[in-house]
Order: sequence, then structure tokens, then C-alpha cells
Amino acid sequence: MRTLAYLDPGSGSMILQMLLGGVAAVAVSIKMFGKKVFRTLAFWKKDEPEKAEPVRTAADPESKKEAKETV
Amino acid sequence: MPTEASVETGSFRDRDSRVVVAGDTVFRVLSERGAEDWRALASSELLERLTSEGSLVGTEEASVADLGTDAPLLPDGVAAVLRHERIPFVSYPYEWTFGMLRDAALLQLDLELEALDQELTLKDATPYNVQFRGSDPVFIDVGSFERLREGEPWAGYRQFCMLYLYPLLLQAYKEIPFQPWLRGSIDGITPREAARFFSFRDRFRRGVLTHVALHARLERRYEEREGGEVKKDLKKANFKTAYVKANVQRMRKLVAGLSWKAGDTAWTGYREQNTYTDEDAERKQAFVREAAAASRPGLVWDMGCNDGAYSRIAAESAGYVVAFDYDHATVEALYRSLRSEGDRRILPLVGNLADPSPGLGWRGLERRPLEQRGKPDLILALALIHHVSITANVPIAEFLDWVRSLEAEMVIEFPKRDDPMVRRLLSGKRTGSNSDYELEGFERELGERFQISKTEALPSGTRVLYRVHP
Repeated sequence: MRTLAYLDPGSGSMILQMLLGGVAAVAVSIKMFGKKVFRTLAFWKKDEPEKAEPVRTAADPESKKEAKETV
Repeated sequence: MPTEASVETGSFRDRDSRVVVAGDTVFRVLSERGAEDWRALASSELLERLTSEGSLVGTEEASVADLGTDAPLLPDGVAAVLRHERIPFVSYPYEWTFGMLRDAALLQLDLELEALDQELTLKDATPYNVQFRGSDPVFIDVGSFERLREGEPWAGYRQFCMLYLYPLLLQAYKEIPFQPWLRGSIDGITPREAARFFSFRDRFRRGVLTHVALHARLERRYEEREGGEVKKDLKKANFKTAYVKANVQRMRKLVAGLSWKAGDTAWTGYREQNTYTDEDAERKQAFVREAAAASRPGLVWDMGCNDGAYSRIAAESAGYVVAFDYDHATVEALYRSLRSEGDRRILPLVGNLADPSPGLGWRGLERRPLEQRGKPDLILALALIHHVSITANVPIAEFLDWVRSLEAEMVIEFPKRDDPMVRRLLSGKRTGSNSDYELEGFERELGERFQISKTEALPSGTRVLYRVHP
């Protein structure tokens, strides 16, 4: 399916909407994005991009598996 | 017969909807998909209600023949044409006050909520889709309404944060003026940029932890992740439109609760001091009233409007008044006052004449310079020239050349060198500086460019008024 929107809603922004969507949504987010979402929620910790390993995060094995299934 | 139509240079981003201007008429051309979205909006009860309430720009269907052009206007062809009501003077968020941006944000959110109830949504969330009729915000992008796709998140959320929420939070929480930011960045403030402004302690203030800190973090963490993939994941995880609605409602509560202290103070002061008893002010009012009544101008520019007293007088005989001033808090007070009166004839804007809004965006044509958005028929330049000439060091002759180029009548006030305010402005400068700032030279320069039809020295003896014609 091709993307219909002309505006890029942003991956992080979409995930945040899921987190903010309510209790049910948070449960689903955790299932979907795993512990990494928890780590991101720890706002008192300093966000260190070099430790966040964005590339490996992007290739989150769980989501990759799901992505493959949809192909 | 329509004059030659041309595409509005600021409306290219959405390939399904583009604005075309032909003479005084504003059209919108739609692609096949855009036309289907339009029909969905038109067949809902929203269109008529929102238009009659004044929150949506007046729109009616037109035909391709009305455009009077064969030029290719959309890449995939034009499937429908709409005709819009014209907005008296286009303004941009970097010229608005805090209250104006907040009211525009609330309108954006209210329309999103209304749309969701009708199985529709807005495809973006930008303040450039809102204009003001006087103090009344109106949504102008009918092409932003589209049919809702269940399971998809709020497409405009990130844009809303960047162009509405972060600028408002900066002003409300940190006293950082948002106008220079919006003028400097056409797409607004990114979550990561916004996060740099707020301290750890700020995260306990409403909206900062989630919409700024967490947003920035998630964006960093998932920046390599493809948007399409996330969208699919969300759909699979049973993301519901109800979540979008809940998020928009919460956002609305957050925005409605934001306030800006300096704006509040100026507003209080405004109501206390809004009486004009001194003789100079009375004579000045009579002078302006007479000039406006004689010329019955379509558009007035009140440059350096302060509390808007003279804008109001001009508005008695004018079609529309654009009132701008450099001081954000003063303009905010004026906006709130006009808004509480439901005024639709005076548009208050924040602007510095010595640094007016330029052309911005793609080719410098997306957002137009101030002068290209409607030339005035009458200019009020009251208690202004000493600020332009002494504070901003613009030579008097160059200032007069510029106002002359606007081809308008003008009421201009010249405070002499012994005026208390002029003395204050000169006091920090070396003796004899700004030597072109003196009455005789000013009168000569003025007379070289305009016909002076009336001159009046005010009773205090330090100020002179002129009524001039090109």
C-alpha cells in the first residue's frame, strides 16, 4: 500500500501517539516495541544517542519479524 | 470576464489541492482524490455549519472554465474547482501575538475534532492554514479535509508540535519570543530543538515531558525506522481513531491552559490606561478622523499602532485596518481587546518597520513580503519616525522614499528634537548624531515627495502633524 499523506508524520511521533493513546495503547506499544520504549520513558536519565545505537534499534528483531510477515 | 489566472506560489506542497488567483478571485483546484475528499466534506453537515459559524472560509463550487486558463495546474489534472471568499489581508504566524497563535491552534484542534466525528480528518496541522478577519481566526485550507483512514495516527501531530505547540510553550514557559523562530524556520521548531530549551525542572510543567522530551527521544531512537513500517505496525496493533481523538482532546486542554504573563500584564494595563484626556491626543484624534473620513480608504496601515486608538478611529471610515507595532505585549493587549469586541475590521500584527517581513520559503515566494499582500490607501505614521530614524538609524530621506513608493495618502507626525521622547532616544548617542532628524529638513524632504495638504502643530509645542498625498 502506498502512503497517501503528503506530510511525513514522523516515526517517533507516531509511536508517541500510541503511547499517549491510553492504557490499552500502552500495553500494545510495549508488545510492539519492547523494552526500548521503557528505556526511552526514563526521562530522568540522560539521553545519550551514541549509546542508544539508533541503527540497531531501527532493526529491532521483533518489529523486523512483523514487517516480514506483512510482505 | 476573469483576468489571467496564476497559481498561488505558497500552495504547492499538497499535490491534491492548489490555490489559483485570478484578479480578485481566489480559486482552489483539486485532483481526483482531492475532489473526492471535497465531496465527502460537502456532503457532511460540517461544511455549511462551519462556514456559517465563520470558522471555515466561504467556499462554493466553480468550473474549470471560470479559471480562464489552460495552464497545467496540478500534475494529475484538475478534477474540481472551488471558489473562495477573499481574506482582506494575509498574515503569517511570525507576525501574530501569542494569543493569536493560541486561538489559531484551538481552531485547528476544534476542526480536527469536528472532522473526526464525521469520519474525516485534517491531513496537516499548520498555522499557515489559518488567517484572521480582524481578530477572528478562520481556517482557509478546505483542501486539508480528507476522508479518515481507520487505524492511522494523527498525521498532523508532529507539525502541530513544531508550528503551534513549541512556539507557544517557549513564550508561555520561557518568555522566548516565538516570532523570530517561526520567521527563521518555515517548518517550525523540531522536537529535538525544542528539547534543548527546557531544563529538567521544566519537564514537570504541562506538556513538556510528553510532547517535548519524550517526543525528542522517540524521534532520535526511531529515526532510522521507516514511517510506512511504523504505520503498518500501528494498524496491526489495532490503533484506533479513538486514540487520535483522545490525543487531540488532551492537546486542546493543554493549549487552552497556556498563558503568557507579559501579555496578561499589558492587557490589564491597557484597560486601565485606555482614556485619552490630554489635549494633544484629542487634536491628533480629530486630525486622523478628518483624514480618514475625507479619503474613505479601502485599506489603512497603522504603522506603530501602540494601543490601537488611531486604528479604531481610522476604522470608522475605512474598509480594513492593518495595525502593527514592534511591541509584542502591546499588540497582544490590542488583540485581546478587539477579540472581546468581536472586531473584524482591525488586524493587529507584531512587526518592526525597520525589518519588515521578507519573502520566505521556496524561491522566497512561499510567504510574501508585507508590501505584496495589499498596498495601503492611507498610512498612519504617528509617533513613529523618531523610532525609525533615531533608534533604527534609517535616514529620513530613505524612509520617505519607501512610504512614497506605497502610493498612499499619509498622516505623519514629527516629534521635534526637543520632544521628551526624542531627547530620550538621542541621550545615549554622541552629540550631534542623527543630524538629518530636524523639522526643516524633514519638511523639505516630505514636500519633495508629497503634496502637503494640512499641517498642525500640537498644543504641547514639540510635535507636528502632516496630511500628505502622493
